[in-house]
Amino acid sequence: MRQLFKTFKVAFQAIYKNRTRSLLTMLGIIIGVGAVIMTISAGEGATKQVQDQISGLGTNLLMIYTKTEHRAGAHVRMGKPINKKDFEMLQKNSVWISKLSPLVVSVAQAIGPNGYKSIAIYGVSDQYFDILSRDLLTGEYFKEEDVKTARKVCVIGKTIKDELFLDLDPIGRQIRIDKIPFTVVGFLKEEGKGAMGQDQDDIILAPYTTIQNRLSGYRRGYDIIMASANSEDHITDAKIEATELLRETHRILEGEENDFEITTQIELQEITGNITGILTILLGAIASISLLVGGIGIMNIMLVSVTERTREIGTRLAIGARESDILTQFLIEAVTLSLAGGIFGVLLGVIGNHVIYKITNFYIPTALYSILIGFGFAAFVGIAFGYFPARKAAKLNPIDALRYE
Amino acid sequence: MPLKKVIETKKVCRVFKNGEIEVHAVTDVDLLIEEGEFVAIMGASGSGKSTFLNILGCLDKPTSGDYYLDGVHVNNLNKNELADIRNQKIGFIFQSYNLLSRTTAIENVELPLVYDRTGRFSDSKELAKKALEQVGLGDRLYHKTNQLSGGELQRVAIARALVNDPALILSDEATGNLDSKASIDVADLFVELNDKGKTIVMITHEPEIAQFAKRMIYLRDGRVLTDEIIKNRSTKESALRDLELTA
Ligand SMILES: Nc1ncnc2c1ncn2[C@@H]1O[C@H](COP(=O)(O)OP(=O)(O)OP(=O)(O)O)[C@@H](O)[C@H]1O
Ligand SMILES: [Mg+2]
Repeated sequence: MRQLFKTFKVAFQAIYKNRTRSLLTMLGIIIGVGAVIMTISAGEGATKQVQDQISGLGTNLLMIYTKTEHRAGAHVRMGKPINKKDFEMLQKNSVWISKLSPLVVSVAQAIGPNGYKSIAIYGVSDQYFDILSRDLLTGEYFKEEDVKTARKVCVIGKTIKDELFLDLDPIGRQIRIDKIPFTVVGFLKEEGKGAMGQDQDDIILAPYTTIQNRLSGYRRGYDIIMASANSEDHITDAKIEATELLRETHRILEGEENDFEITTQIELQEITGNITGILTILLGAIASISLLVGGIGIMNIMLVSVTERTREIGTRLAIGARESDILTQFLIEAVTLSLAGGIFGVLLGVIGNHVIYKITNFYIPTALYSILIGFGFAAFVGIAFGYFPARKAAKLNPIDALRYE
Repeated sequence: MPLKKVIETKKVCRVFKNGEIEVHAVTDVDLLIEEGEFVAIMGASGSGKSTFLNILGCLDKPTSGDYYLDGVHVNNLNKNELADIRNQKIGFIFQSYNLLSRTTAIENVELPLVYDRTGRFSDSKELAKKALEQVGLGDRLYHKTNQLSGGELQRVAIARALVNDPALILSDEATGNLDSKASIDVADLFVELNDKGKTIVMITHEPEIAQFAKRMIYLRDGRVLTDEIIKNRSTKESALRDLELTA
């Protein structure tokens, strides 16, 4: 017990005496651990954000659109566009789909009282808001009646409001879209960035009928039909049903391919899951490299000091230290440096995540397992490069340790 | 009362193997050293002096032959027992000091007491200070090893060998880095310690220093060539007088 206490003192003195080496070792561990935590957390954070975003869309979402194929680098429509007939047919016949909205996109110049901007206008039905669960901050949604009569009303997001109205209250005011005045009836709650990084508040929504009739020429087709299944459990049923109904309407014979596509929320989640999975692997690779770099740095410092430390061990053995005294001393040194480096590394990681959040607004929750991996690394490095060479030296004859070169 | 046998070696050999080449550094050395003796070991460079002293100091093991220290058969001891013997019974002064770098004189001298398990020393700082004063370094306690001269380092190493109050002092050219006068001081210190009952074995190149001992062993090619009692031993006064005459 007394001996252990003395050995602790010896170990801490040795750390202090070799403070440059101690600091460099710790620095290697700090950088390794910090990098691991930051990269793993970033991967996790991105994955989580994308998943939240997608499930925020409502998990019973279906998107029906005309099949396209890549031809000479461009998307080429393969069938006739999804249109009013399809929409009404689904509305009438589908059992599993409860809400439907066409989506027609038109690019136009929008001018507000305090600014203007070129933007994509979304033509949708009143059910769209429900399907995508977009809430209002002020005003109201446009109604079925507005859609039927193709009224010139619109609902806008925060980014549009900020750019076209500045501080003005947009409700009741007008935006001129390709010279046609639209009255703002609703102002959407802020949503933030979407799964793919697009700004979901940079949006103008108007009745699709109005867009079709008034903007950039008349179009019969829709870009997408957005639909939501009765419940999450029936999303696959809804997809199968919609597929059959559309094949029938489009007169597709058995054995022929669909001329449309239906993507469900769940499939979307899987796709992005794959993408974020790749992202996580990539970040993991970066983390491994930083570990390797940190590890090699530490290894270098340790190898350079092996000669000196072996002589030191020889001296200690020669004046009567037992092998166990040496082992305990070096274990304490290794554990202390690893632990301190590990703790500072975790701090660096957590603070780094926070700094990234402050700068980019990208929130990274520190993944617990990244801390464990970081600590595992610290312990491994400390033991592998601090303890094992010492163990080898402590097993030598004192005289051989003293002669070591 | 017969004197206690401190050191007894029987046909001790030490062979170094370097691949194909075998170096017979020590061959068939039979030696008996009793309590209170003061032995000088001389011999040409490479004659095996250090190798033999390392075996006596339990720092190395003989390839063959038996070594008894205080009647204990050292060949049969395990590592911990050897460590404890080095710590309690032996004060070893190395040819190349072997002090800890970046460490103060007093910390270096204290080191053997750090590994003392008998608990027989109460104030290690005080003891280390005394040992350093004994070798004339009372004013260099807190100098680090890189702030001391070769001769001072040598004396720190001597102080470290004395601090644990060992019965046996083994010295490998403790005066190798000192000038004649300082060498005489060290030799005189050994005489003083020997008078207090310590057994001393010292390797030296200098006949004037060997002359302070009571017995001289001459090694050649790892074997004992001569082993004789020194008749007219030097004292500090006589050595200093001789020094002045030659100067
Ligand atoms: N570890 C070793 N491996 C191989 N040979 C060694 C080893 N140590 C010593 N020797 C050889 O053993 C012989 C005796 O060496 P030793 O160091 O005992 O000589 P010495 O009498 O102390 O010489 P010096 O007066 O120069 O210190 C030498 O020939 C040396 O080369
Ligand atoms: Mg020698």
